[in-house]
Amino acid sequence: MNKNLSVLFAAILLVTVQAHAETKADAEDHSDHNIDHSMHNMDHSEHDMDHSTHDMSHDHDMSHHDGDDHGIDDPDHAGHDAEEDHADHSAHGHGHHHMDDSHIMDHEGGMIMGQNKDKLPSSCDSISEEIEITVHAGKKHAQEFPGTTFAFDQREWRVKPCTKITWHFVNDDEVRHQFMMHGLPRYLYQNGMFHLEVTGPKKISGTMIVPASDETYLVHCDISQHMEKGMKGQLVVGNGGEDLPSIPGFTPYTFPDTYPHEDLPQVSDKDNEDTIIEQVADFLDSTPFLSGMLIIGLLLGALIAPLISRIMALRKKDEIAE
Amino acid sequence: MPIKILTTVLAYLCIACMATAQASLKLPKTIKVDPEALTSEPMCDPKIPASWREAQVIEGVQIRESQRCSPDNPYLIAAAVKGTNNISMGTLMETALSPDTIIKTDDMDGDGDPDRIIIKLEVMELNGPSPDFEGLIPTFDIAPGIQPGAWVFAPKTSGMSTENFESVRANALLRLPSPVIRVEQGDIVQIVLENTHYFPHTIHLHGVDHPFSHHGYGNDGPTQTSEMHLMPGEKRIYEFQARQTGTMFYHCHVQTHTHLAMGLVGMIIVEENRPNNWLQTLNVGAGDVRHPSVAIQEEFDHEYDLHYHAMDKELHEIIQKYNDPRLIARDMNRRYDLTDSTEDYFTLNGLSFPYTLRESMIVVEPDQKVKLRVLNSGGELLALHSHGHKATITHYDGIEHNPIAQITRDVFDLAPAQRVDLTLNTTNDGLHSYDAGVWLFHDHREKGITTDGMSEGGSISAIAYKSFLNEIGFPTGTHAESLDSYFTKEFYQRKLPIWQDLDEVGSLGAPAGRSRIDSIDPETRTDIFNLIYGLLAGLILYLLFVKRQQAIQIVLSMTAKLKGSKGSANNE
Ligand SMILES: [Cu+2]
Ligand SMILES: [Cu+2]
Repeated sequence: MNKNLSVLFAAILLVTVQAHAETKADAEDHSDHNIDHSMHNMDHSEHDMDHSTHDMSHDHDMSHHDGDDHGIDDPDHAGHDAEEDHADHSAHGHGHHHMDDSHIMDHEGGMIMGQNKDKLPSSCDSISEEIEITVHAGKKHAQEFPGTTFAFDQREWRVKPCTKITWHFVNDDEVRHQFMMHGLPRYLYQNGMFHLEVTGPKKISGTMIVPASDETYLVHCDISQHMEKGMKGQLVVGNGGEDLPSIPGFTPYTFPDTYPHEDLPQVSDKDNEDTIIEQVADFLDSTPFLSGMLIIGLLLGALIAPLISRIMALRKKDEIAE
Repeated sequence: MPIKILTTVLAYLCIACMATAQASLKLPKTIKVDPEALTSEPMCDPKIPASWREAQVIEGVQIRESQRCSPDNPYLIAAAVKGTNNISMGTLMETALSPDTIIKTDDMDGDGDPDRIIIKLEVMELNGPSPDFEGLIPTFDIAPGIQPGAWVFAPKTSGMSTENFESVRANALLRLPSPVIRVEQGDIVQIVLENTHYFPHTIHLHGVDHPFSHHGYGNDGPTQTSEMHLMPGEKRIYEFQARQTGTMFYHCHVQTHTHLAMGLVGMIIVEENRPNNWLQTLNVGAGDVRHPSVAIQEEFDHEYDLHYHAMDKELHEIIQKYNDPRLIARDMNRRYDLTDSTEDYFTLNGLSFPYTLRESMIVVEPDQKVKLRVLNSGGELLALHSHGHKATITHYDGIEHNPIAQITRDVFDLAPAQRVDLTLNTTNDGLHSYDAGVWLFHDHREKGITTDGMSEGGSISAIAYKSFLNEIGFPTGTHAESLDSYFTKEFYQRKLPIWQDLDEVGSLGAPAGRSRIDSIDPETRTDIFNLIYGLLAGLILYLLFVKRQQAIQIVLSMTAKLKGSKGSANNE
């Protein structure tokens, strides 16, 4: 009973905080979609490059590989041997193909877009500082956030206005990931984007200069469901703007899932026994509409309680009278 | 006194009857859904450049004309034929493929074509949820407004999943069905699966000559017998050197009962070895093969890949209900019961009618020989019927049927996972073809021509003679109905009375509602009536209670009377 009471009191205390957090998330609802409503096509022709000088075929001549001893009449699949590395052979020995300074792609699809090493945003008098940030991306960074699949190892970066940032993006997985930033000034960044993309395990680096205004920029991986399943962060310049929703460990989902209890024979684990405060926090987190309903419940309770006490009092009177 | 009550009741009944008779003399008018209120789409996607339909040469690759509304991107065909490693960056940028998606090297037999082929596939979700807004992303409509959640093997792409940052529509490479793969007999093929999805998957090469394992690990797909689950963020290489040719297919072998239906299934074709045989390694979206193999060109005028699939709406909604992969896994693996399911969507090459008309019609000319490769990846038997033609089954599951015993018919049954190769001969001899025209080509299980029960929909397509198509590849049929209403969401939402425009008066349109109370939906109406009955009953009970003395007296006097009369009757 005492435990229950303390849970209730803790809940009442947390209600205000919770309600506040929710309204905040609501206000952010579509912010990452609105940020760039003026954003325009990633039309490929826009970053077209000089075809003649950047022909990718020149160093992939078939004759390079002539004379290999993999006969097609090989009856017992001996040709399957030593093929393991072959899938990656194209990755080696080829440098970057520059299309222009702001769009670079290598033979594996490693890509740097919107690079800006020296053009000062009009709002800046000078570069305030030069920093380097290393960001890791991959499945293992999602482990501390149950219910996510992919994540960045850091999910928020705070920098001074007019900082020149060199990002080192390290993909720890064996698939593609992206470090894609939106909402930058278009006169410097095509489509308002700064974008690094690489198939791991590998690193790719690119440099950019942030404008002077207080702003919070979306950083995400745009591969289908990667942002939704955790790969999302924000770059806060100066005092920043409003926080973005659904950043693992920072901001709640706008549309959270609900988790009904399942009666499963669980592995017994003493560490699983949460403290009361954790229980309350989980309870509130998992039931999004609770705070409002709880307040209604409290009001109803407050109204009904005097009635009940009066009825009790009347009954007692009757008993005494009898 | 009782007589008075009786007459009152009778009078009331008469009035009620007359009122009803009066009402039924005047039936409600026909109402018409305003065509302006419909969200009509253009029949043909205006974003597709008309020049894509023309015969052309890109990167030295001959690409045939494709007279349809949505032809394949010719740059993508060039990239698929040459390999992404053998084309200019300009061509590559027109495709959105990654530079390492298709690597072609090593002419091992010295016959002028590459024999070492690497194909990189990713796993992409279509029509998935977002925790940030209520819509779906990236979207792929199989018919107007129909967006089932799906998974596909997609060629490895570069850049965004959507068309651009403003759009939620999937980029053109992310679509149903999973792409058709074409390789040459004897090629050393590596399919590199990069699992970009939040669930584990594998690849099983159904019917393709492949070793059970290579380099000590599995190569067959099933996680019970062959290999470990390929987890999110991991890649695996599947390798084979096929000694036999034929129309085969590939699919995921993790939780196959749901993963296959979700869309992780595509055709794979092993073509005969020929000199200078540069194959179109991927046919994204299946359908017309615009750069057929040498062997096909020797014998046929056209080649079409026809991939039939079916989906249960409830299964495909699961991934849209939750964001947390654990909840999706709970519903898909433990709550969804395939044995209680029904298929609702029927697709040909990833689309349902009317979108099938945009890209999956079999376009022919008289006196041609056409190769149709057909796969049924749905869960039930397929019964394809060709109007106006009888075609010949030449191959079952990639194996040639004894030529003397080959069957020519007009309904082709395909068990689930079955492939047949058909030869369609358009010679007008009353047997192979009855005439030129636009002849339907459809599943004859009638639900196969519906979309969630709404007809026409499903996998309906047509054998269309070129002279019957307009410049954007749509049937010119002046005798047939307008197709406009099919290109609206409202048609498939059942909001359009489909016969309202058959005649001037709309004799088979929707009737207007009868009265206010009639226009309320039945449940609410029942509720209102129940409320009124309840009120009346309450009032009566109240009256009975208040006037209980009188009521008791009346009852007592009546029972006394009855007893009295009974008693007198007995006495007599
Ligand atoms: Cu990613
Ligand atoms: Cu799978």
